[in-house]
Amino acid sequence: MSEVLLEASKVSIRFGGLLALSDFSLTIQQGDLKGLIGPNGAGKTTAFNAITGVYLPTSGEVKVKGEVVNGKRPFQINRLGVARTFQNIRLFKQLSVLDNVRVAILAETKPLFADESVERLRRGGRASRAVGSMLDAVNNYRDWWRAFLRTGGFLAEEEAIEAKARALLDVMGLSHRVEEFAKNLPYGEQRRLEIARALGTEPKVLLLDEPAAGMNTREKADLMVLIRELRSRFALGILVIEHDMKLVMGICEHLTVLDHGETISVGDPAAVRADPKVIEAYLGEAPVHA
Amino acid sequence: MKSFLPVAVAIVVLGLLQVLSGGSAYFVYLAMLVGVNVVLAVSLNIINGLTGQFSIGHAGFMAVGAYLSAVTSLAMKDFQLSFLPEAVSNQVFFVVSLAAGGVAAGLFGFLVGLPSLRLKGDYLAIVTLGFGEIILVAVRNTPSLGGALGLPGMPQYTTVFSVWFVVFLVVLLARRLLFSPHGRSLAAIREDEVAAEAMGVDTTSYKVRAFVVSSFFAGVAGGLFAHFQSIITPGDSFSFVKSMEVVVMVVAGGLGSTTGAVVAAVVLTLLPEGMRSLFNLLGGDSDSLSIDQLRKPIFGLLLVIIMLTRPQGIFGTHEAWDWLRKKKEPAT
Repeated sequence: MSEVLLEASKVSIRFGGLLALSDFSLTIQQGDLKGLIGPNGAGKTTAFNAITGVYLPTSGEVKVKGEVVNGKRPFQINRLGVARTFQNIRLFKQLSVLDNVRVAILAETKPLFADESVERLRRGGRASRAVGSMLDAVNNYRDWWRAFLRTGGFLAEEEAIEAKARALLDVMGLSHRVEEFAKNLPYGEQRRLEIARALGTEPKVLLLDEPAAGMNTREKADLMVLIRELRSRFALGILVIEHDMKLVMGICEHLTVLDHGETISVGDPAAVRADPKVIEAYLGEAPVHA
Repeated sequence: MKSFLPVAVAIVVLGLLQVLSGGSAYFVYLAMLVGVNVVLAVSLNIINGLTGQFSIGHAGFMAVGAYLSAVTSLAMKDFQLSFLPEAVSNQVFFVVSLAAGGVAAGLFGFLVGLPSLRLKGDYLAIVTLGFGEIILVAVRNTPSLGGALGLPGMPQYTTVFSVWFVVFLVVLLARRLLFSPHGRSLAAIREDEVAAEAMGVDTTSYKVRAFVVSSFFAGVAGGLFAHFQSIITPGDSFSFVKSMEVVVMVVAGGLGSTTGAVVAAVVLTLLPEGMRSLFNLLGGDSDSLSIDQLRKPIFGLLLVIIMLTRPQGIFGTHEAWDWLRKKKEPAT
C-alpha cells in the first residue's frame, strides 16, 4: 500500500448562500487514476480549486503527503507536489511553448542561507525575526544577481532547465512547436502543452480539468493512451475531470460523481454506471449505453 | 568572464563619448536629460511591461532618489577623502549618494509594492498615483528639503559618462532578466497570474521584487538628475505629469520592449528640442516657454496617433536584438 499523496476529507465550500461543494472526500495514491464526473455546475472545478488553494475550504481539510494545506497559497501547494491544468486553457499566450514549460521548472539552486535556518530564525524573537527576514531577502535577490552577472552556475542551470523542458515537450509530442507562441497552437496541442507545463513542476499528483474538451475523436483516443503512459512514466497519481463518458469509463479505475456539490456515488466505473442515482442526476431518464 | 565583456566595451565607448562631448554644453545637457529619461522608461517597463502591473507614480520614486542623494551629497560636500585627488573623491561621494538615493527609492518601492499583492490594474494605478502625490506634498512641507522653493546647491557631479553608464546597466539588467527564470516568471504573471501561481510561481514576492528593482533605478535616475540640475523643486520635475511622460514612453515604445522604451524615451525627449530648431528655421520666435507648452499637446496627439495605428507600441513586444539575432541566423 503506497503513501496517500493527496487527501481531501469532508471539504465544503460555501459562496454566500450557495453550498458549492459539500463534504467532498477523496484520496489519491501513487498509481491511482481516478475520475471526477458530474453534470455542469456540479462542483467539479470547485473541488479542484479547493484542493489547489485557489479557494479556502469553508470546512474540512485538504492534506498533501499528510500535511494540512488549508490556507496555503496555490504556489506552495504546487511545490508540495500537486499540479493542475485548467478547464478554460490558461497558457501564457504570448510566451513561446518552451518558455511556458520553463516557467514551471524550478531551478535547483541551493539558497545562500538554508531555508530551514531562515525559517528557524523567523520563528524566534523580534531581532531574530528581523535577521531571518533579511537573510530571506538576500536569498530572494540572489537570483537577480546571478541572472545579471550570468555566472557559470546560472548558465549551467539554464541549460538544465531547457533540457528538462525539451524532454517534457518531447513526451507530449510538441517538440516541433518549441519556438512558437502558445496562442498559435491548435486547441488539442494547447491542452497537451498545459499538461507538459504542469509536469514541469515535478508533481506527484496531477489534476486534469477536462483535458479532452474540444478534441476530436482521434485526439481523445491518443490522449487516453498518453495519460496512462504519464502515470507510469512519472509515477503519478492522476485525477481527471471529464465530460466525455467514454473517455472516463475507458481510463479511470475509480469514479466520484458530484451533483449540486454533493457526492452522490463513488466506486469503480461499472458500479457507478449502474447506480440509479447517477443515472437520474447525470445521465437523465434515458437508458444507458456504454 | 565573458559576461563582463559588455561592461568593458561600454566603459570604453562612454569614455570616448565623454571626451568628444566636452565642447558643447548644450549637447552635454541634452545627453544627460535623454539618459535620465531612458533610465526611467526602461525601469518602469520592468513593472508595466514585463510584469503587467500598472504603475503611474514613477516620478515619486525618482523624487525620493533625487532628494535623498541630494541631501547625502550636500552633507558630504565639504569633505574630501584625503588620499584621493579632489575630483576622484567627489565622484566617490557621488556614487555613494546615488546608491543612497537608489536604495531609499527601492525601500519605497517595497512599501508601494506590498499593496500590489492585493490590488490589480486600475486600483494599483491609483495607489501609485497617490504615492507620487504624497511624496510631493511631504517635500513641499519639509523645510529641511527646501519646501516648495526647492533644494539648491548640489554640486554638478553628473557627467555624460555616469548617466549613460547607468543607462547601460539598466538595459543590461532588463535584457539579462528577460533571459532568466526570474524574467520568465514575471512574464508569466503578466500573461496569467492564476496560472503562474498554480505553476509554483510566488507571484507576490516576484511582483514586490519587480517594484523594488524598478524603483531603485528610478531613484538613481533622480540622483543623476539632481546632480546636473543642481536645484530640485517638488514642482514639474517630479509631478504627475512627469510620471505620465514616462508611462507614455513605455507605452509608445511597446509595453514589454526594453529597446522600444529606449527609442521612445530618446525621441520623446528630443522632440521639443527638434521643434525648437524647426521653429527657428521657420523664423518663429524661439521662446522656450511656448515650446514647452506645445510639448504637452503634441505628446497627447502623438499618443493618440500611435494608439490608433500601432496599439501595441512602436516595437510591440519585440526587441531590437531579436531582429539582429534573426539576421545572423538565417531561417532553416
